[in-house]
Amino acid sequence: MNTFASRFSSTSAGAELSKAKAIAMEDDDFSDASWGSEAGYGSLAKGVPTFSIPSVADPTAFLRLHTDDSSDPNCRIKIQHGTTTLAFRFKGGVIVAVDSRATAGSYVASGTVKKVIEINPYLLGTMAGGAADCQYWETYLGIHCRLHELRNRERISVSAASKYLSNLVYGYKGMGLSMGTMICGWDKTGPAIFYVDSDGTRLKGDLFSVGSGSTFAYGVLDQGYHWDLSDEEAQELGRRSIYAAGHRDAFSGNTCNLYHVKEDGWKFIGNYDVSKMHYEGPGDVPGSAGVAYGYDIRVEGRSSADS
Amino acid sequence: MPAMLSTQPHGLPHPHMQTEQGPQQRQFNPYTENGGTILAIAGKDFSVIAGDTRQSEGYSIQTRYAPKVFRLTDRAVLAVNGFAADGNMFVKKVRQRLEWYRHAHAKDMPLRAIARLIQTMLYARRFFPYYVYNILGGIEEDGSGAVYSFDPVGSYEREACRAAGAAQSLVQPFLDNQIYFKNQTPAPGTSHPTHLPLPTVLKLVIDSFTGATERHIEVGDGLEIYVVLAKGASTQALEGIRGIQETTVTNDGERVFIIQRELKKD
Amino acid sequence: MDHFPTNWGRPRNDAFDAYGTYPIAQHPRNAVDVFADGVQRTQQPIVTGTSVLAIKYKDGIMMAADNLASYGSLARFKDVQRLHPVGDYTVIGAGGDMSDFQYIQQMLEELVTEEFASQDGHTLGPVEIHEYMSHVMYARRSKINPLWNSLVIGGFKNGKSFLSYVDLLGTTYTASTIATGYGSMIAQPLLRKAVEGNETTLTEEEALKIIESSMRVLFYRDARSINKFQVATITEKGATISESRHLETSWSFAEGIRGYGSQTQ
Repeated sequence: MNTFASRFSSTSAGAELSKAKAIAMEDDDFSDASWGSEAGYGSLAKGVPTFSIPSVADPTAFLRLHTDDSSDPNCRIKIQHGTTTLAFRFKGGVIVAVDSRATAGSYVASGTVKKVIEINPYLLGTMAGGAADCQYWETYLGIHCRLHELRNRERISVSAASKYLSNLVYGYKGMGLSMGTMICGWDKTGPAIFYVDSDGTRLKGDLFSVGSGSTFAYGVLDQGYHWDLSDEEAQELGRRSIYAAGHRDAFSGNTCNLYHVKEDGWKFIGNYDVSKMHYEGPGDVPGSAGVAYGYDIRVEGRSSADS
Repeated sequence: MPAMLSTQPHGLPHPHMQTEQGPQQRQFNPYTENGGTILAIAGKDFSVIAGDTRQSEGYSIQTRYAPKVFRLTDRAVLAVNGFAADGNMFVKKVRQRLEWYRHAHAKDMPLRAIARLIQTMLYARRFFPYYVYNILGGIEEDGSGAVYSFDPVGSYEREACRAAGAAQSLVQPFLDNQIYFKNQTPAPGTSHPTHLPLPTVLKLVIDSFTGATERHIEVGDGLEIYVVLAKGASTQALEGIRGIQETTVTNDGERVFIIQRELKKD
Repeated sequence: MDHFPTNWGRPRNDAFDAYGTYPIAQHPRNAVDVFADGVQRTQQPIVTGTSVLAIKYKDGIMMAADNLASYGSLARFKDVQRLHPVGDYTVIGAGGDMSDFQYIQQMLEELVTEEFASQDGHTLGPVEIHEYMSHVMYARRSKINPLWNSLVIGGFKNGKSFLSYVDLLGTTYTASTIATGYGSMIAQPLLRKAVEGNETTLTEEEALKIIESSMRVLFYRDARSINKFQVATITEKGATISESRHLETSWSFAEGIRGYGSQTQ
């Protein structure tokens, strides 16, 4: 058929649409599901998430150019970063404690971030690294944990869930994902913690801390940790460790969120202001001595600075 | 230039001409920054979402009226800031999804679902991000006012207030002080209110923008304030406001208003 | 895992740091990739046109652009038309790469032909052309293969005038005065001073005066311009694009100039 004839012969709406798409070169390829009841699922409408990649020779270099604020503080897109998180296993279950600060460059983008992601009533994930990466993939993990339950008539083990996540992010290795997360829960084997990061590392362990404030948290955690800690002592240790990190690390702070995982699932213990813990203590909570964590209270009246 | 083996014979350089060290490089940068500031504050049974209307690039004002705040449904309003072309396209795509949802379910998508939708849409571009900061404001299914704020790749959080854009570092500390009462001590025997009334919030919004206009060159020209009221919420605070217009479409009960104000144009 | 938060969320530079072993203090900077030369060259404009000016006035839109297409600093083609009518209600003016503009002209020609052939009672007005161009330009930038132009779209249909801008990034806006390229710095303030607030009262003669004086200033100061330009008007009566014209210029002021700054002799 000659080109002139074919150009004007197409009358169906579909042909019109595909022609318009060819000219405007739309990236989005929507399935019929997008029109129906699955319309609300964003990039998950097709079941598997799909990502557009810039059509340049080196997409990773492209992303680095526009989002790497450590190399170029003037880069336009500043991705939010999370900061101090910890979790440890003890006889009474798992304690998960995190801070709540998000920074973009040197700007404190938020002081109220939820860095504990509630995957399901028995599983918690922590957020360190790219906030969106952690939120998105741990939510996605939640979907697959539920599917596992439906298929196998039993809850997924912490080990399997963490391995699912680890395999998933390994598929994107080197492309710029950034997560350092602890998958915490209680399954047939008892309390369990797995550390998973975007390099593909997956470690089983009793005690982890992740983030720029982790060194400060480890300092307090290591000296106070014991398997036979009581619930109250363990909660206090988590709180005290996050306080230490919030106090000494500029990228951590604002508040501490504390969770306790037991056989019947996780429980949110409380939210504690770091400044308040410094000057007044965490308040009347189990495990607390009821005094401020700050050291100035301990030198009161005894230091030359006071006279 | 690295020493590279080449089978391509290079032409002899002209004796009087300096040879260029490789071709002139001008990489196409698909992003720009169009200035402006947006902000949203949630109340007990209302939500206020505002943005200035200046669009600029570098030191040039492109236009004095380019809206950055958009009504999505009668209970959801979206403000976008950053790269204007990405922002407009993103709003267009969100609206398309909301329309498909309406066709499938014969109702508007609830606010928290829109928030999650925006997350998945932003994250789909994780490796070629929309350079857009989004703030979504509106009314939840339980009738409470809500604000959701997003980063360019989709991490989000529900908050009581949020400023974004060029003057976020000027406006957010002001809001922290006036809304969250940060660094304020209540008088003995009293406490800070958890929710501020609408007239107070509107005053804070206008003051935020006049202040930002004074101190930031990319903010100014015009101000658009959207007010979303929950079902049954009193409209008393809005009566007699200059330049107010109702843009409600459905009879679901929630109501959307827009207030337009001038800002300094220098 | 790198525990320093400012290093998070970004792709590792495999050329420098394949295994994430760099100490924090020595985190590699974004260096120019010396191998990139051999990989891909994103296009740059070759034969270029300079500013386009456009204003709203009482009867519609007036737009102007000179007839020069430059090849770097060489005034290569002096009879290029940079204002192009689209359908019956619209004129599109372009700065930037002229070959890309010719491609856009072809594309629009095809669009208008197709719209005409369907004979469905719809005709494309400036609003539709603007929407179409903004999508095309944004889609091409998203493919990192832009059409290197700044476009001004002016039109008049159903008693309403319309003036807008679209560029290679897909950035769009509408305003009562638009100037692209060099004109956005030199002419835009002049246009705004004369037009803002007077859009509904300016006569065609007054509008032409404003455009002419702005084009004259541009010719004085823009080294990539030429004193030969066309003016388009789009009104209720349709779109007309004038023959090429030139302006009286006076260079006598140059007599008194003895250099700038400290140089006075």
